[in-house]
Amino acid sequence: MTALAVLHKFWLEYAKNTPKKLKIIDAYLLYVFLTGVTQFIYCCLVGTFPFNSFLSGFISCVSCFILGVCLRLQVNPQNKSQFHGISPERGFADFIFAHIILHIVIMNFIG
Amino acid sequence: MRLVNRLFCLLFVFAGANAGGPTLVLLDNLAIKETHSIFFKTLQDSGYVLTFKSADDANLQLSKYGEYLFEHLIIFAPTVEEFGGALSVEAITEFIDGGGNVLIAGSSQSGDALHELASECGLEIDEEGSNVIDHMNYDVSDKGQHTTIVADPVNLIDAPVIVGSKDIPPLLYQGTGLIADSDNPLILRLLSASTSAYTYNPDQQVKEYPHGVGKNTLLIAALQARNNARVLFSGSIFFFSDEAFTSPVQKGQGGQRYEKSGNQIVAKAIAQWVFKENGVIRVSSVHHHRIGESQPPVAYTIMDDVVYSIDVERLSGNKWVPYETNDLQLEFVRIDPFVRMTMKPVGNGRYEGRFKIPDVYGVYQFKVDYKRVGLTYLYSTTQVSVRPLQHTQYERFIPSAFPYYISAFSMMGGVFLFSLVFLHYKDETKSKSE
Repeated sequence: MTALAVLHKFWLEYAKNTPKKLKIIDAYLLYVFLTGVTQFIYCCLVGTFPFNSFLSGFISCVSCFILGVCLRLQVNPQNKSQFHGISPERGFADFIFAHIILHIVIMNFIG
Repeated sequence: MRLVNRLFCLLFVFAGANAGGPTLVLLDNLAIKETHSIFFKTLQDSGYVLTFKSADDANLQLSKYGEYLFEHLIIFAPTVEEFGGALSVEAITEFIDGGGNVLIAGSSQSGDALHELASECGLEIDEEGSNVIDHMNYDVSDKGQHTTIVADPVNLIDAPVIVGSKDIPPLLYQGTGLIADSDNPLILRLLSASTSAYTYNPDQQVKEYPHGVGKNTLLIAALQARNNARVLFSGSIFFFSDEAFTSPVQKGQGGQRYEKSGNQIVAKAIAQWVFKENGVIRVSSVHHHRIGESQPPVAYTIMDDVVYSIDVERLSGNKWVPYETNDLQLEFVRIDPFVRMTMKPVGNGRYEGRFKIPDVYGVYQFKVDYKRVGLTYLYSTTQVSVRPLQHTQYERFIPSAFPYYISAFSMMGGVFLFSLVFLHYKDETKSKSE
């Protein structure tokens, strides 16, 4: 089996078995990831001059990604046994709360 | 009226406390007081109160109840082996450590006490019996051993503040030579012998290499200690004598004849220097502030423009007058100097330096460390702290940072949209599963 075939198989499995809710989160994560990469490339090209701005922009992406992954773990029905007693609604509320804190800090630091 | 007169006298005495002052003069025998009367008379005329004592007097003391009785000490006792009373080499070095000034003259018969004292001061007096001999530059009055030498004023140190003008008649010298410790940076070589001189016992055949040869032989040397105390050694007590002051000078091998030697002029100048009438400077005030302000801030910020000014004064007679120069340097130091610059004289003894504080924060010092030959050391430090920009002082809305701003806001918008979609979709899946 070639690598391509593996990827193709993987994609098919993903499309078939993953709940749509998780696919929405994955799409969001992809968007956050691409924004972060774009900023890093921009910083490499332009230089680190407003370093605090770069840090806050970049770190906001990284944090959003991490929070998104956390949400995905908690919402995934396969992990239900590990997050016993934490409902997906509770997970989402935590996610929003963490985001509010994060963005207040980012706005303070971005200059 | 009489009382007013007395008060006036008292005031006068206090005003005169700078120049002059109580001075102890130690002599081998009281005859020296007569043979060196011109030198002592000059000192007394300029306000010194001289107390003459024999060097082995049993009642000698420099201090009483922890306070020094004298400001200056003159030792014209070359042959003394041991001082009398409470005086000893240790007591004299303590006196120097306490800021006292000492003038010492030796001769070819210098005793142990002077040898010890000299080595305490980083100098070495050549061994007993040896003379400075110069077969090229001896005086006509010399009796054949060529030990009465004619020292050329060109060999004086290049410092008018110590020795005065160099344009004077030659100097008469008869005595032993001094050798300076070459590692000692505080030693000043006031008068060195000419290249053809050496030190040896004139009665003996030269068998060993002489201790002092040529310019290494010092005739007069001085030490300005780190506490600004001044100590002067002359290898010749004859140098200060009335005979040397008044004798005509002519080199033995011909040359111009001078009616009077330059000894008196040089002796007066170096006595004034060693007793701190000359070459005394001090800092009178220091100011620093940001450009455009008049008071120093609690803390400077990085990249501030600052003005530092310092007033320097020189002692002239009994008064402090502005000291004028053009080589006063300022350093802005945080362990290492970050800025070193020559300050601009702005007149009246005030010097000013303007510079931009470096882009590094920390605790700094404005430092002026001025060391010049013949002048007392000038050292002034002022500590200031330099802080980084405050949180609100940074530049905002920089064009090159706009992508970062956009991304940060897009993250917020992203979360908002995502929440809408996510919540909405959850309901739908639920209804579907139902």
